[in-house]
Amino acid sequence: MIEVEGLSKSYRVPLRPEGRFALVRSLWSREAREVRAVEDISFRVAQGERVGFLGPNGAGKTTTLKMLAGLLEPSAGRVRVLGHRPQDRDPRYLSQITLVMGQKQQLLWDLPPRDTFALNVAMYDLPRAQARDTLDELVEMLQLAPLLQRPVRNLSLGERMKCELAAALLHRPRVLFLDEPTIGLDVEMQAQVRTFIRGINARFGATVLLTSHAMADIAALTPRLLLIDGGRLRFDGPMAELTRSLAPERQVRVRGERAALLPVLAPLGFVEEPDGMRADVPVARVNELLGAVLARMPGADVRVEDVPLEEVLRRAFRGEAGAPA
Amino acid sequence: MRVLRAWPVLLRVAWAEMFAYRAEMVVWILGTSLPLVMLALWDAAAESGALAGFTAGEVARYFTAVLVVRQLTAIWLAWEFDHDVRTGALSPQLLRPMHPLWWRAAETLAAVPWRVVVLVPLLGALGAWRPEAVAPPDVATCGVFALSLALAWLVGWCVQVCFGCLAFWFEQALGAWQAWFFAWGLLSGYLVPLALMPPSLRDVAAWLPFYATLGAPVDLLLGHADPWGTLARQGAWAIVLAAVASAAWRAGMRRYGAVGA
Amino acid sequence: MAILGLVRTALAGAVQYRASFLLDATTGLGGALAVVLPIAFVYGRAPSIAGWTRPEALLVTGFFLLLQGFVGVVLEPNFAALVDAIRRGTLDFVLLKPADSQLVVSLQRLSPQRAWDGLAGVAVLAVALRDLPAPGPREAAAAAGLFAAGVLATYGLYLAVVCTSFWFVRVDNLRFLLAGVLDAGRWPMGVYRGWVRTLLTVVVPVVLVTSTPALALRGRVGPALAAQSLAVAVAMLLGSRWVWRVAVRRYGSAGG
Repeated sequence: MIEVEGLSKSYRVPLRPEGRFALVRSLWSREAREVRAVEDISFRVAQGERVGFLGPNGAGKTTTLKMLAGLLEPSAGRVRVLGHRPQDRDPRYLSQITLVMGQKQQLLWDLPPRDTFALNVAMYDLPRAQARDTLDELVEMLQLAPLLQRPVRNLSLGERMKCELAAALLHRPRVLFLDEPTIGLDVEMQAQVRTFIRGINARFGATVLLTSHAMADIAALTPRLLLIDGGRLRFDGPMAELTRSLAPERQVRVRGERAALLPVLAPLGFVEEPDGMRADVPVARVNELLGAVLARMPGADVRVEDVPLEEVLRRAFRGEAGAPA
Repeated sequence: MRVLRAWPVLLRVAWAEMFAYRAEMVVWILGTSLPLVMLALWDAAAESGALAGFTAGEVARYFTAVLVVRQLTAIWLAWEFDHDVRTGALSPQLLRPMHPLWWRAAETLAAVPWRVVVLVPLLGALGAWRPEAVAPPDVATCGVFALSLALAWLVGWCVQVCFGCLAFWFEQALGAWQAWFFAWGLLSGYLVPLALMPPSLRDVAAWLPFYATLGAPVDLLLGHADPWGTLARQGAWAIVLAAVASAAWRAGMRRYGAVGA
Repeated sequence: MAILGLVRTALAGAVQYRASFLLDATTGLGGALAVVLPIAFVYGRAPSIAGWTRPEALLVTGFFLLLQGFVGVVLEPNFAALVDAIRRGTLDFVLLKPADSQLVVSLQRLSPQRAWDGLAGVAVLAVALRDLPAPGPREAAAAAGLFAAGVLATYGLYLAVVCTSFWFVRVDNLRFLLAGVLDAGRWPMGVYRGWVRTLLTVVVPVVLVTSTPALALRGRVGPALAAQSLAVAVAMLLGSRWVWRVAVRRYGSAGG
């Protein structure tokens, strides 16, 4: 389905001289620096999978996605999607994929979304009846009905993104590339977009690859995680496995007044938190610690939690604790 | 063919888009019609006997025809294209299974009716002011003119594709377009009719692509040029420039794929 | 000092585009050529047109090129940026700054590569003056003053027109309209007659801007014409200031 082997991409970026007369010197300076955006990435994705690319800004997520969609030519390595070389941009390939970019749009700015939909139906050469059914379905799922007649420029960011999604899915692509689909949206709208993407995946069996730096996107949408940092693939596997290897401990939290907690819990290894105290302990020691806490403070407000995803990722990007490569 | 099936929808949506821009279109068309003010200079020059053989009426007719041809073959692709490449707005267009230039062509053609709507009253006003400036041509001339106009559009389109493609390499490719535009002003018959140029310059200019985009249909409309020779030169330029444009596009795509946006 | 800082930042922005910087410079000269050649051509066969001799018409062309240089270096880049900022809502950043917003939007960018028109204008003026009796200091001062007034009037006209983009959807095309209007300034005032002349000297006074300094150099500007030029400049400046205020207030109340 999707096969990526040894994929790399590097750019030459001209350097702007610094110091005195920098402005003048930049007129003829030819210095350039090689930037390796993606280095030697390999992975495979099966039909119907949902995969999330996660990484800090500039990690190479978008570059990888653009190579998969055929917008960028790899510097090295091999990419095959649905049996095509994406960079050939064969119309038969383009008819089966879609790329939604949270920061770029295909909607015609001064026209209602309906016109962009019509344009896409024509450009993708879709049978009328099928296009109508798909559109009805998308309008229903995304609740677009009230938006169809308003010029895109008058829509809110979230409404625009919903219309972008509809425009990108009219041709029922088998592979969805989503680049930061929830960027800039409010929490409610983010949730709607996530539900929709899951629905598309379930209904059409479409494969979904998405990049995001919103943890909630990843947690809600993609069972499989590709962690990219500095252009390299740091981890490939289910979220649970990442958590197990990077953050095997549990967090035991006790809520309460600082003055009451401190003398009792500090000796047990707890540290202060904004609304109480916390101790990070291996799974095996949780019961023992809980027993000790409850013995000294019967009725204490105690919770045991996994290490939050944000913290797991912070560790992964710091390359801590032998992150699996 | 996919494009043929899609074409009516492309035109319809492009028309809707132009309709949304109607006020701006009218402003633009009026703006590009203003060079007609230059008629004042030519009138004065004709009165002073500076234009051997050309009467004030002929000059007026010439520049009126220039206005008509310029409006009907107006293309703004180079600007749009330059913008799309620099901002990366080209990317979503490249993901559709149809060449993005088809949509741009539909937009350009959908604007033509608006130009006619603005041109007609303008020509009416001109006719009231200078009756000799607006004389309807006969049917045969109209046919030749229509063909020449289409070729002029095609040549101009290919030129703008070439200059638009420069944006794949240069951040301000429109500078090169400006250079072309000035040469065009001098050599196309836009500022000075070829008939009034020194003979040596005229002979060169008549063979250049600038003339093929403007002067050729104007001279054919006014019966100042040999139809078949002029049409043949326009056709030749259309073929050559279409080849250059398509090579430029392909090279540009390789560059875009290497560098991205 | 604020102005110096603005200018420096604006220059830095322009130099970033290295290759096109040189390209623009060469095309600038081409543009100047396109303005001068028709004049040379028309005067090839007649010594005087509409009461203007060739060197006199060249004076007008020289001032026209100077004006075009000013428009290209200062007005166009700034107003193109302004239209863009209004469309994308980024004008907020300007309005938040503790400086006069009209000054900032008028001076935040410069295109020094467009200065070639202005340089060509100086050259054309020099050529034209070679064939004319040298103007005295009084004539030169009057010409400079009238031209400066004309430049300010043009600024006012441009700003007022560009401000309409606060109301309309898309006005990139105003650029063409303004360039077309400005174009009328290439020819000496004498060739325009009747209502066209009234239009071009009172409503959109571009002909006044280029022809009065030329007449001043020849010592042919009477008090009436001088007063008209100055009055037009003051009216345009005050008018544009007012339009800017109204426009910004509208922008604020529309809520981005």
